Amino acid sequence: MTLSVERPRLAAPAEHRRLGYAAAGLAAIAWILTLPPILVRTPLPSIVLGLLAALVGVVVATDPSHRRLGACAAGLGLIAIPLALAMTNQTAANVRIVFTWSAVVASGLTFATPLIFGALGGIISERSGVVNIGLEGMMLMGCYFGIFGADIAHTWLIGAVLGMAAGGLLALVHAYFSIHLRANQVVSGTAVNLLAVGLTGYLFIAQYGDNGTPGTLPQVPNVNLPVVTHVVFFGDAFGHTNLLTWVGLLLVPVVWWFLFRTRAGLRLRAIGEQPLAASTVGLRVMATRYVAVTVSGVFAALGGVYLSDGFDGSFNFNMTDGRGFIALAAVIFGKWNPFGALGAALLFGLSSALAYRLQTFSQTLGTLFLALPYALTLIAVAGLIGRSRPPAASGIPYVKE
Amino acid sequence: MTDQPPVLELREITKRFGPVVANDRVDFDLRAGEVHALLGENGAGKSTLMSVLYGLYSPTSGEILVDGRPVRIDSPNDAIDLGIGMVHQHFMFIPVMTITENIVLGSEPVRTGVGHTLGVLDRRTARDRVRELSDRYGLAVDPDARIEDVSVGMQQRVEILRALYRNARILVLDEPTAVLTAQEITELMGVIQRLKADGTAIIFISHKLGEVLEVADRVTVLRRGRSMGTVPRAGATEQSLARMVVGRDVIFRVEKEEATPGDPILEVEDLHVVDDRGLEAVRGATLTVRAGEIVALAGVDGNGQTELVEAITGIRAPVSGRVRVDGADITGRGVRRATEAGVAHIAQDRHRVGLVLPFTLAENLGLRRYRRPPLSRLGWLNLRSFAERAAGLISAFDVRGGGAETPAYALSGGNQQKVCIAREIDSEPRLLVAHQPTRGLDVGAIEFVHSRLIEQRDAGRGVLLVSLESEEVRSLADRILVIYEGRIVAEFPPEASEEELGIAMTGGTVVGA
Repeated sequence: MTLSVERPRLAAPAEHRRLGYAAAGLAAIAWILTLPPILVRTPLPSIVLGLLAALVGVVVATDPSHRRLGACAAGLGLIAIPLALAMTNQTAANVRIVFTWSAVVASGLTFATPLIFGALGGIISERSGVVNIGLEGMMLMGCYFGIFGADIAHTWLIGAVLGMAAGGLLALVHAYFSIHLRANQVVSGTAVNLLAVGLTGYLFIAQYGDNGTPGTLPQVPNVNLPVVTHVVFFGDAFGHTNLLTWVGLLLVPVVWWFLFRTRAGLRLRAIGEQPLAASTVGLRVMATRYVAVTVSGVFAALGGVYLSDGFDGSFNFNMTDGRGFIALAAVIFGKWNPFGALGAALLFGLSSALAYRLQTFSQTLGTLFLALPYALTLIAVAGLIGRSRPPAASGIPYVKE
Repeated sequence: MTDQPPVLELREITKRFGPVVANDRVDFDLRAGEVHALLGENGAGKSTLMSVLYGLYSPTSGEILVDGRPVRIDSPNDAIDLGIGMVHQHFMFIPVMTITENIVLGSEPVRTGVGHTLGVLDRRTARDRVRELSDRYGLAVDPDARIEDVSVGMQQRVEILRALYRNARILVLDEPTAVLTAQEITELMGVIQRLKADGTAIIFISHKLGEVLEVADRVTVLRRGRSMGTVPRAGATEQSLARMVVGRDVIFRVEKEEATPGDPILEVEDLHVVDDRGLEAVRGATLTVRAGEIVALAGVDGNGQTELVEAITGIRAPVSGRVRVDGADITGRGVRRATEAGVAHIAQDRHRVGLVLPFTLAENLGLRRYRRPPLSRLGWLNLRSFAERAAGLISAFDVRGGGAETPAYALSGGNQQKVCIAREIDSEPRLLVAHQPTRGLDVGAIEFVHSRLIEQRDAGRGVLLVSLESEEVRSLADRILVIYEGRIVAEFPPEASEEELGIAMTGGTVVGA
């Protein structure tokens, strides 16, 4: 029935695409060769592979429709060479210490957990059409009130509940400003972040003074898996993971299922795409957005509870340290999809864990190493994953006629 | 049939926006199985009246009765519950979602049992219901396709299906043919007949007289928010309706002298252009437009017209081929170079391309000339000069509803189009590319646009008219070129018949042409 016209493709076939990914894979292998368990002690094969990847990348980049992919593969190939050289320059023992994979995974999960919570919150909020820059502040609220609750009630559960409530409350402030008053959502979110730093900072000093939070607070327990503990690698990697980490991992499919398989999820996404269209079929745009933003604050706060009450056992001034913003980055890199965000959060988590361990190699370059994972993932994501499209109405206040 | 109370009655509906009266004591009624057309110029209050009916606006005063009972309609939900369905003029879709999702949104089927409590979508049932409705009324759609990937015609069928899915007994079609091709309009008319036979009452909003006479049982005319009366189709003519709409006699047939074409102005040679998805939309188009002639490019939507126009006006760089204006090669040199060479462009989409909606009329009217004196000197804008020039153009082109400082979004569609045309003609072009210049305009405004195009032709400029309306093409053009799958496949004199054009536009070969 349609009168659409079949058009021949001018752009080169899918082969170039595959070739580009293959080159990126080669670049990765070039580095992995020099790591345990393979641990090649000469950089030669890596240099060859890296150059090959760069060459293939350049070839792919000559195709105008895959320029970015090609350039990215070539870049990764070139970066792989100094990385491999760095590994082969170290003693094998040193490399083994840094790249104890089970420990990297375990520590990567702890880094990833707050990001997972934050990113899930961000997805829910943005899918409804409200940008939530305030994740950072909501997480920080979770941090403080998680500890405070655990302190006064002598159980971490109350801490978690109080933390989530505080995060949700701060989110309501953001919701009121950005939905009701139609303030610029980035400005409102930023204000909320500053508010959280001030509020928690003040309460922290007022309540705990110079001594800091007591060292004996009830913490969110680790889950000791009985059988897995004795299995090689898995035991060390997953055997003693914190309860909240498991909760976060479990929430990923739950949120995905909610968004893409339930009625409420469909409506939420519709409102985030075209609120006017959604309202003409009778959906309640404002109410839905309020709920979504509040829930997003609760999620972010749970990430904060993990940071303070799960991982650290204490609170420090502004302890989230930008994790809310990294979570926001994970939302975008994950293309507003919970599984994508999980992937991004794990990538950030694992590379942060590695970066910390890499400081063993060189104290002076330590800080630089901390930036490396973000630089690397930025390149990889920009080239390999490509453009991601936000929900169409994200960030735009809805004006009811 | 006449014994029953009307399914819908609007009594003395008045809607004010501040000092503006959009509807002034309008009466309207609708019977089951009837098509009642609502006719009027842009801004006459048709859409406002329907928004009142659909619960988007609450009336300042007046009463709505459904099945003889007074009702309150405060939201689209109330309207839907009363069996009122709306096919909006600007489709209300979630473009990234599938057709099925768009149809069921707001009243989605959910699974039974635990799934019901959790609100789990029953996607199979949803698809089945869409299929069933689609088969019953002959509204062909692909339930799994995304809205953004399907044609405008299919999108409209989805809008109708959505209303039917919600058991609409009263269906409002707000300017349903404005965006359709001739073929699609014929199909729509068939669908309307089937719906009528099924007892659905239809309000058909349009400003196209021919269509209204073809499809409506009764016609109500609105002018400046007031009802000019209701007449049965029998006895009504285009002339009589037009008089009710505009309040004066309207000239339908465009009057023009024989063209006296001069030297070629635009020469397009073997042009290949790729669309946003990297697919070749224009595949070797060659054409010439000479001074003092109107060349019409006719074709079914989506055959490369948009990409061809974009390549000529410098918006899109072609892959290969040549575009020359007055002998100067401007291929792929961008919009500024094209403007300097004398290309003006009345854009197909005045909201996104033709105008900067939040800008004032003065700013919009200066967009082609702002780089030159008197509008600017050494990079400094002369705002007074902007305002003066705008005031002149506003009165010369009879733009109503605002002055130089009015933002463009505040005008009605017809007046926005006048602003676009004023700016383009004011740039004193050598070539005027008019892409669907009368899209969505009413009779009065169409008359205006047509006479301006002929004026430009008679002033010795080249006019390339791209249109989906074969009536427009045949009445304005001095030569007709047919574009099909990105190539110019045929050339006709303006006397060509509708059939001949139709066959060429759908890729058939014309015997004896």
